Amino acid sequence: MNSHDETPENRLRKELPEEVPADGASEVVDAPEEQRSELTGRQRLAKGLWPPRVTRAQLIVAVLLFGLGFGLAVQVASNSDGDSALRGARQEDLVRILDELDDRTQRLEDEKQGLEKQRDELENSSNQAEEARKQTVEKERQLGILAGTVAAQGPGITMTIDDTKGTVEADMLLDAIQELRAAGAEAIQVNGVRVVAGTYLTDSGNSVSVDGNKINAPYRFKVIGKPQDLEPALNIPGGVVQTLEKEQATVTIERSDKIVVDALRAAKRPDYARSSSQ
Amino acid sequence: MIAVLGLVVGVVAGLLVRPEVPAVVEPYLPIAVVAALDAVFGGLRAMLDGIFDDKVFVVSFLSNVVVAALIVFLGDKLGVGAQLSTGVVVVLGIRIFSNAAAIRRHVFRA
Repeated sequence: MNSHDETPENRLRKELPEEVPADGASEVVDAPEEQRSELTGRQRLAKGLWPPRVTRAQLIVAVLLFGLGFGLAVQVASNSDGDSALRGARQEDLVRILDELDDRTQRLEDEKQGLEKQRDELENSSNQAEEARKQTVEKERQLGILAGTVAAQGPGITMTIDDTKGTVEADMLLDAIQELRAAGAEAIQVNGVRVVAGTYLTDSGNSVSVDGNKINAPYRFKVIGKPQDLEPALNIPGGVVQTLEKEQATVTIERSDKIVVDALRAAKRPDYARSSSQ
Repeated sequence: MIAVLGLVVGVVAGLLVRPEVPAVVEPYLPIAVVAALDAVFGGLRAMLDGIFDDKVFVVSFLSNVVVAALIVFLGDKLGVGAQLSTGVVVVLGIRIFSNAAAIRRHVFRA
């Protein structure tokens, strides 16, 4: 740093003494020649500062320094005004700044569009996923009613077969279930056992087993379906009711607006059958 | 002393008055201030060297300001205003530093 400083400094030192004798000789400065040469720089500075003397040199320098201080303060003040930071800028700088801002705006706009597109896609896909989920839930309910894994309620009939003589056998109950299914029954339970696609009925002594669950008379069928179809289907001549009455059983059928089929059956995963639709 | 007073009064006046800088002068004011600072440092150094002369100071002060403003003005007209003003500030900064080094040697003897 210092070696760099030397060069201009030495040049100045050469230049200034050349000028000074020419100007300084004609303009007599306050201090005498011999006294000035003895003084060190520090002493000269102290002497210039105190006591204050009104000389022409001091006044001129004061005026110039006043101008400098004024300009300095004005510039600093106008620069530190936040909103006028661009006021001092040149036209080309302003144009450049404007261009940069435009570019930046463009880039941000592009980015925004991309992000919005992404958001829309995500929303769509999540909507679709939601829709698919709803449909799946709905389908699960419908299938659950068929498979007997969920409770069902709706209009239907209650059929009670009172078998005091113990003459009712499994095939008669099976006939009744077949007849109900043919008439559009959607959910059936017999004495607390849900009747599903795989339900089987067997005779066991005086009573009947449904899917291995022994049930005793009276057999109560709760059936959901259209009552106007179900009841005539059971009552047709030579049909279920007549057959059962021939066997000394009494059959009562009641229509109802609200039948609750709440016997459930655990969902069972098939061991061998696999869906071939995929 | 009076010179220092002048500087202080100028700063105070500038802060108090807060005049609107005319748009024409605006680009040149900072450069002019830096040029004037250079002249002031040169003058201070000359005083410490014992070769200070008010006439030389006045001329160098004014010519510094005018030349610096002129260079920037010319640069603006040529379309290289920003680069030229940077150049001027760099050169003046180097001079201020070298003068400050000389002043430092006088004042602190180091």
